[in-house]
Parts: sequence; C-alpha cells; structure tokens
Amino acid sequence: MSALDLQGVTKTFGGLRAVGGVTFKVPERSIFGLIGPNGAGKTTVFNLVTGVYKPDTGSIRFAGEELSQLKPAQIARRGVARTFQNIRLFGQLTVLENVLVACENRRRSGLLSALLRSPSFFRDEAEMQRRAIELLAIFDLDGLADETSTSLSYGNQRRLEIARAMMLEPKILLLDEPAAGMNYGEAEGLKKQIRWLRDRFDLTVILVEHNMQVVMGVCEEIHVLDHGETIAHGTPEEVRKDPKVLAAYLGEETPDEAAAAAAAEEEAAT
Amino acid sequence: MSPSTLGDGARTSRATSTNPLLRRILVTLALIGAVVGLEFAFDTLVPDAALQQLVLFALVNVVVALSLNVINGMAGQFSIGHAGFVGIGAYTAAIVAGHIHKALGVDDILFSNSFLVMPAAILASGVVAALFGFVVGLPSLRLRGDYLAIVTLGFAEIFRLVIATAQTGGDVEGPIAQFLAYLGGQNGYAGPDRNGVPQYAGPFWIFGAAVVAVIIAWRLKFSGWGRALRALREDEIATASVGVDPTRYKVTSFVIAATGAGVAGAMLASMRNGNPTVQPDQFTFAYSFDAITMVILGGSGSVSGAIVGGVFVTFTVKMIEQLQRFESVQALQAAYPALDLNALRMVVYASVLIGLMILRPEGIFGERELFRRKPRQRVSHAPPEPLPARTEAEADPKSETGPLTGKGEK
Repeated sequence: MSALDLQGVTKTFGGLRAVGGVTFKVPERSIFGLIGPNGAGKTTVFNLVTGVYKPDTGSIRFAGEELSQLKPAQIARRGVARTFQNIRLFGQLTVLENVLVACENRRRSGLLSALLRSPSFFRDEAEMQRRAIELLAIFDLDGLADETSTSLSYGNQRRLEIARAMMLEPKILLLDEPAAGMNYGEAEGLKKQIRWLRDRFDLTVILVEHNMQVVMGVCEEIHVLDHGETIAHGTPEEVRKDPKVLAAYLGEETPDEAAAAAAAEEEAAT
Repeated sequence: MSPSTLGDGARTSRATSTNPLLRRILVTLALIGAVVGLEFAFDTLVPDAALQQLVLFALVNVVVALSLNVINGMAGQFSIGHAGFVGIGAYTAAIVAGHIHKALGVDDILFSNSFLVMPAAILASGVVAALFGFVVGLPSLRLRGDYLAIVTLGFAEIFRLVIATAQTGGDVEGPIAQFLAYLGGQNGYAGPDRNGVPQYAGPFWIFGAAVVAVIIAWRLKFSGWGRALRALREDEIATASVGVDPTRYKVTSFVIAATGAGVAGAMLASMRNGNPTVQPDQFTFAYSFDAITMVILGGSGSVSGAIVGGVFVTFTVKMIEQLQRFESVQALQAAYPALDLNALRMVVYASVLIGLMILRPEGIFGERELFRRKPRQRVSHAPPEPLPARTEAEADPKSETGPLTGKGEK
C-alpha cells in the first residue's frame, strides 16, 4: 500500500512543461526524496500534491482518494501537510498562534460559541493550547511561544514551520528544502530529526532537497526529475551511480556536443 | 494528545476560574444597567443638544469602524465601500421602523414602543446588509488589493446612484421602479407617510449597539476564527496549507462586517433628533473614506483603535467645523474673502492624517489593545520525547563537506 500515488501527472504553464507525465509511488512510512537540478519541477510537484495547482492530466491518489480536484485546505485536512521553500509563517502572529491556526479546522465549537464564550469554546481553546505547547516543546520552541514569528532566528523559523505542519497530525509530511541555509552540523541534526519524526508520528516524509548530504543520508527511495521528466528512481545507491543523474547534475557532454567540441579543438589547432 | 488529559488544560482556563458564571451575570447586569441609566440620564449629563447629536453620531461611527475593522484590519482585505452597507441598513431600518410605527398608531415616540420597533429594524437591516455583504464578498475570492477595493467602491456607488437617480413622481411602471420611487430619490426616504422616519434610537439603543459591537469585535478577534483571519492576512497560501479554507473565512468576514454596518445604518436612520429622512448623500464615498480613516488612524486590527478612531474622527471633523464660528476666524475670513473655510477644513484634516501616518504609520494602537490580559503563566511541559540532537549535532569541524559540496556524502 502506497501513501501517495502519482500517475502521469502533467502541468504546463503557458508553453512551459513544468511537470511532464510524472509517475511514482511513495511507500507508506518511508522517507522519500524528490531531487533534481534547479527548475526540474520538484516544487511544482509539491504544489500539485497540495492542491496549489491543478494538474492538466494524470491522477494523484492519497489513501485511495483522488486529490487533484480538491482545494488546498481540503487536502491539508485529509492529512497532507507541507513546509515551504521560502518559509511562509504568519509573520505578525506569535509562535503559539502560528501553531494554533493549524488546528483551527479541528475545532468542534463554532463561531457562535466563540461569540457567546460558551464552555465548549474555553474547553476547545484550552485543549488546543495544551497540544500546541506540547508540540512546541518537542521542537524546543515553547520558550518562545509568545514571540512574534518574524522575531525568530532563521533556524527557529524553519523548525516552527515544521511544528505548524505537524499540528495538522498529518499522514504525509512534505518538506521543501528543509536544509536550505544549514551548515554541516545542522544538516546532520536535521537527518536525525526527520527519522525521529517519522518514527514518532508514523509519518510518510517526502523531501525536496538540494543538500545531498541530507538526501543520500536519510532517504530510503529517491525519485529524480530533470526538466519535469523522470530520469531515475531507486535507492540512494542506485541513483548516485545512475549516469543520467550524473549528467543532469554535472552537465556531462552528450556525444554530439563532444564531437562538436573535438571539431572545434581541431580547428583551433590548425 | 489524548482527550483524557483535557482537564489539565481546562483548569488554567478563565472559564473555570472563580465563579465565572456569577461574574458574567454581574457584568451583564451592570452593562444593561449602565445603558438603561444613560437613556434617562443622557439629557442631564450632556445638556447641549448639538453635543448630544455628536456623541450619538460618534457611537454609530464606532460601530461602523468596528465592522470595517473586520475586513480591513483583521482579514487584510481592503474595502472602500463600507458606506454602501451602512446605507442599505439605514434604508431597510427606516422602512421597517416606519411601518411598525404606523401600525402601532401612537404618534409619540415612546421608549416602551422602541422595544417593538428597534429589534425588528435592527434584525431586518442586519440581515439585508449581510446578504449584500455575501454578494460583495464573493469577488474577494478571486480579487485582492486594489482590484477588490474597486469592486467594493463600485458596489457602494451603484447602490447610492440607483437610489439617487431613481425617477420619482409621475407614473412609474414596474415593481422595481415603483419601489425605487418609493425610496424618494435624491430627496430621501421619510417614512411611509413622508412625515419623517420615527426616531426610536435613543441613547439606550445607540450605546447598547456600541457596547454589543465592542464585545462581539473583541470576541471575534480573540477567538480561533480571528486568529485564522489574521493568519489569512499574513499569508493566504500558508493558511490554506494548514486546512483553513480562505474562501470561507473571507466571505464570512465580509458578511459579519456588512451586518455590523447594517446595524449602524439602522441606528443612523432612527437616531433621536437626527436627520428624519434617509438620503443617498449620507452614504457617499466621503463617508466610506471617513470609516477607513477611523480604522487606520486607530490601528488596523485593533478593537481599541477602532473605538478611538471612530470617536476621534467624528469629533475632529466637527471641531474643525466649529472653528468657523470663532470671531477671530470670521474676522480672518472677512479680511480675505477668497479664503474658503470648508476647503480649508479638508486641508487641516488631511494634514493631521499625513502627520500621524509619518509619526505612527501603524495607527495609534497598531494591532494592540488598551486592556489585554498578560498571557497566562503556562505550565511548562517537559517534552515527552524531545527532538534529537538539534542544531549543535556532532559536527566535525575538520570536515570539509559543507552543505553545498555535500554531494555523495563524505
């Protein structure tokens, strides 16, 4: 049983084929890497899965349900949480409030009980706060609960974004470049944290990442995209040795280019 | 995270602190007592008729500012047509109150009868304005910023012009044209018998409306709903990514704001000693602009700010008007006949605003409040299982493998 199942997903923007017929399955409770050079379409895949974009063709199934026609908020409520490449926090809200927004959809008491300040309102609020603080404590942010999120350091902002996503109690966590801007030690820490989160919360983690130290160290399966097309899929070992992957990353010469280069060299020599 | 530990969190909540029910009943009674007292003591407290008018008008403006604050402050949308909702509420209330008054058959405006008239007028104007709020709120799903602002402005102007330019007198055909003719066009609506809208809204109703509006605005802001709305203002995509549907929240915010404006309109239409006709010219863009000024001046998103802004703007506008009565000012005008004091009024007003925006761009209060409980001392939960090795990790300083060169991990 796979947690997420993409079948021939295509998305074009104008004339640009950002994602072209991508097909892959993410095994349940795995840590799955989605890699590729800049502009390969990795973030677009995330946006398709989370409903920010609608695919032109193809299907995206999560726990047997088609996601491609749902709205982002509906997809999130079904248990698909994400973080963003360029951190998107609720700037003027406090750290605690940032996390609390993520359990708004689980509130049992409605707007009317908020206006009447009924007992169920206080009960819900207390329960939500308790859960939020508990989660913040896990991410070592409970001491900063009443700070506005813009005042946090970069690393804390990244962690807060993950904490906020975890408040949804997701089944799948999509992390978009969580290691961006981290040094070696921090990236090592991140690897442990990702594994720990998966084990502790029974998650499936999908990772878009450029940092190969993290990707190769933590992912159990990797899917490689280039120019929106799948070029490789397999374990880190397999992917690392794949000539197409090396070519995409290092820009290896194609035979034509090699011939042209040789010809040019010859010409220069004469 | 199991519900079994729920009691632990609830104990710290305000709901279960010392006798909350008793406290709430007492506060409610005190507020009702104060408002009823004002109905009878108002003439003594504020003997000057003009000042009475000003105070009541300021309170109506507070309701207008509080309702606009939901859209412009909390939800971060930008409506510049709020006068339209106020106007719809005013016309609806005038029609409803006028007919009930007529049906009652008592010419005098009795305080006891106001309890038959005002609830119906308030309900009707709230509901009708809410419907319009829903319709105007729908474009907010696709439009934002300036574009949405133009939609709201267009709505308010269409509403005003449809009424102002309606053909009156003579033979008008068709139910819609007849209804518009009934509303009196440019001259305004003055009740079913054209002898004035009954002015049932005395200090009790207007102070009461302001108090209820403040309580509602406060509770909305400090609820999960208000939190989600503020999150939406900060980042729509991120809000959707945590399961909050922007569509629902934005449209709801429009409906709530329109309802509040409609109720304010009801107060305006039936204000004691106020204008006995409801006229389209009361709801021009200038009034929408005043409402925006109140919100921005007080501080977008702040309930206290909307109150202060509403009162401040009402009084400043009036004060500058009053200035013209001073002899020295009149002497100045005699000396320089070209001096247009009405135009000057707008110049002074604008200068005050510009000055404030330079000194305090976030408004008087920003998003803060005057009285706000300090966050409770929270029970620090030791994390059951903390996240492993956070940032320090077992970094090897000798390693050259940085994050960017980390291809192939060591």
